[in-house]
Amino acid sequence: MNRFALAISAAIARVTESAHGPYQTAVIRIGFTATWLLFLLREFPHRHEMYGPAGPWDFDLAQQLIGTNGSFTALIWSSSGFWFESVYVFAVLTSVLLLLGWRTRTMSVLFMVGVLSLQNRSIFMGDGGDNVLHLMCVYLVFTRCGRVWSLDERRARRQNAARARGERIAPDRVGPVLWGVSGFALVAATTAGRLDGDLTVPVILWIMWPAMAVWWIVGRRARTAQPRILLDVIGNIVHNGALLVIMAEACLIYATAGWYKIQGTRWQDGTAVYYPLHLDYFSPWPALADLLSSSGTMVMLITYGTVLVQVAFPFTLFNRRVKNVLLTAMITEHAVIAVVLGLPFFSLAMIAADAVFLPTTFLRRLGGWTAHARGRLSRLVRRGEDRTELPGPRTPENPEHAHVGFTA
Amino acid sequence: MDAYDAGSAARHGPAEQPHPPVPRPAPPADAPRSAEAPLIAEAPPEPEPRTGVAALSLRYQIGAALALAVVAIAVCVHVGMVFLHVAPPNTVTKQHGGAIDDWIYPEFEQNWKLFAPNPLQQNIAVQVRAEIDTADGGTRTTGWYDLSAQDGRAIDGNLLPSHTQQNELRRAWDFFVATHDADNRPVGLRGALSETYLRHIVQLRLDRENAAGEDGVVARVQVRSRTTNVPQPEWSDEELSDKPTYRVLPWWSIPADETAEAAR
Repeated sequence: MNRFALAISAAIARVTESAHGPYQTAVIRIGFTATWLLFLLREFPHRHEMYGPAGPWDFDLAQQLIGTNGSFTALIWSSSGFWFESVYVFAVLTSVLLLLGWRTRTMSVLFMVGVLSLQNRSIFMGDGGDNVLHLMCVYLVFTRCGRVWSLDERRARRQNAARARGERIAPDRVGPVLWGVSGFALVAATTAGRLDGDLTVPVILWIMWPAMAVWWIVGRRARTAQPRILLDVIGNIVHNGALLVIMAEACLIYATAGWYKIQGTRWQDGTAVYYPLHLDYFSPWPALADLLSSSGTMVMLITYGTVLVQVAFPFTLFNRRVKNVLLTAMITEHAVIAVVLGLPFFSLAMIAADAVFLPTTFLRRLGGWTAHARGRLSRLVRRGEDRTELPGPRTPENPEHAHVGFTA
Repeated sequence: MDAYDAGSAARHGPAEQPHPPVPRPAPPADAPRSAEAPLIAEAPPEPEPRTGVAALSLRYQIGAALALAVVAIAVCVHVGMVFLHVAPPNTVTKQHGGAIDDWIYPEFEQNWKLFAPNPLQQNIAVQVRAEIDTADGGTRTTGWYDLSAQDGRAIDGNLLPSHTQQNELRRAWDFFVATHDADNRPVGLRGALSETYLRHIVQLRLDRENAAGEDGVVARVQVRSRTTNVPQPEWSDEELSDKPTYRVLPWWSIPADETAEAAR
């Protein structure tokens, strides 16, 4: 056996034996759902104007455009106000539940349905931030993003503890009900011809729904461990593939943003950053913008720095230390953009995407702080405190995960 | 399968194995339980000695290999397609543009030319005026309402600008410009859609301003854009005109069913 074959088999072992980046996928799950949730709450007073059947982009216009591109949106199924409100509430609820990691896989599918339904209904309402969420909500469906920092993980931990004590565990009722209800909706929508447009979303829905059933049946009924391990392996493969796509997508975003800037004369002469700061639509704090742009040298440094960081980032993934430095720079820049250019949700979505590259040690520490803060808070509130209930990063870490995020 | 063979061979030690053993991932016994664990809750509780392909019999290994192949191909194709979609027009996109578009549109469409290649260097204000049919049978024309200036004021000092303030009118105007020729004639279905969309937005805004008054009805609207260069930075020695340029669209009549709706 030669070295090449060994390398191949090592790689195969790597992508099949575990779902990499449990903390990274959990943090992007929380990041994207939180962004979408806050956005929906922020726009709640404007929801009719943005996505409603009688808004400026009214039902008829949306129907004509979707007739040409076939994109997926449940909002085009009915022009009734009640349906619209229901879908909006559905989008809010699914983002909360996916954020908490309750029935993560099912919720990730429903979250995708919510995001796409609203965004595809009014495509001229969004900006880059919506675009990031649009893509990531699809990719998230294929990840095992609830393995840490989730209610699912807590439930699994409690059941394991109960089983270790020899207690009998009541069979799961919620899962099958959830599966049945969503399956009924899927079959109804399909037979009513509501999924006759573009194939992407219907295919995802029709793969995930039977897959969940197979998973459930095999987990309970299989006589040997083999089928279960096979499903676990497939789950890992799909997860790792999706994680790779998410990382590649983030790199493509930065590469595109950077390389196109290099071609622009304003990015070359070092004045580019001055201009957005003086556009009426992107200058909530004119005084701050004036201050930032008072020095030509300063503007040039920021302009060149922005291009440098964006172009360089994908290449720094090969070096952990440099990657972390650039990651810090980018997250900081996005935080600044959130305020200075008045783009909070775009920035939040970008920071969530950046988070997939955060080191595991940092994320675990972050989880520890959060659990600690939560513990203090609940002591303050003087509720009966049970230490075992703290959702922290308690799960024993597979050392394999420690260098995920640096190598991708 | 390879992984299994290599893995087991490696453990036989250096005597049979000329190369260093494959570094194997840590034993999975302490790996995080999967999120779906509750679904397999009633399975025999004894710890599994191994997971991954190495623990599978040949039949199941073929299944795993198949899944790996499918996912690997899907990932490569998808990333490749997205790359070609965001890349500048090139030899490959010219030959296979149709296939790339079929893969990307509508759900994976994306554009990351953020403030690139050059940031916008002009403030484009969309303004509207209306012709009002008054209750006494006459007509009057309102002054110009600067809707973008209203948006700008709404954004000032705002930590959380709404898409209705920041994107709605701005992007509707971009959409209009992109789907109309220099004589403001619509190009294709999207041109027609963009006209109706823009008209709906200005109607909504005029309504909020109560432009028609108590008894009046908005009969026609006219939209124009006012483009001004962002003033040059102090340190710059470039000379730029500070005179605005206008693009004035023809008057649009409000369809009878919509005026009736507004009057109700």
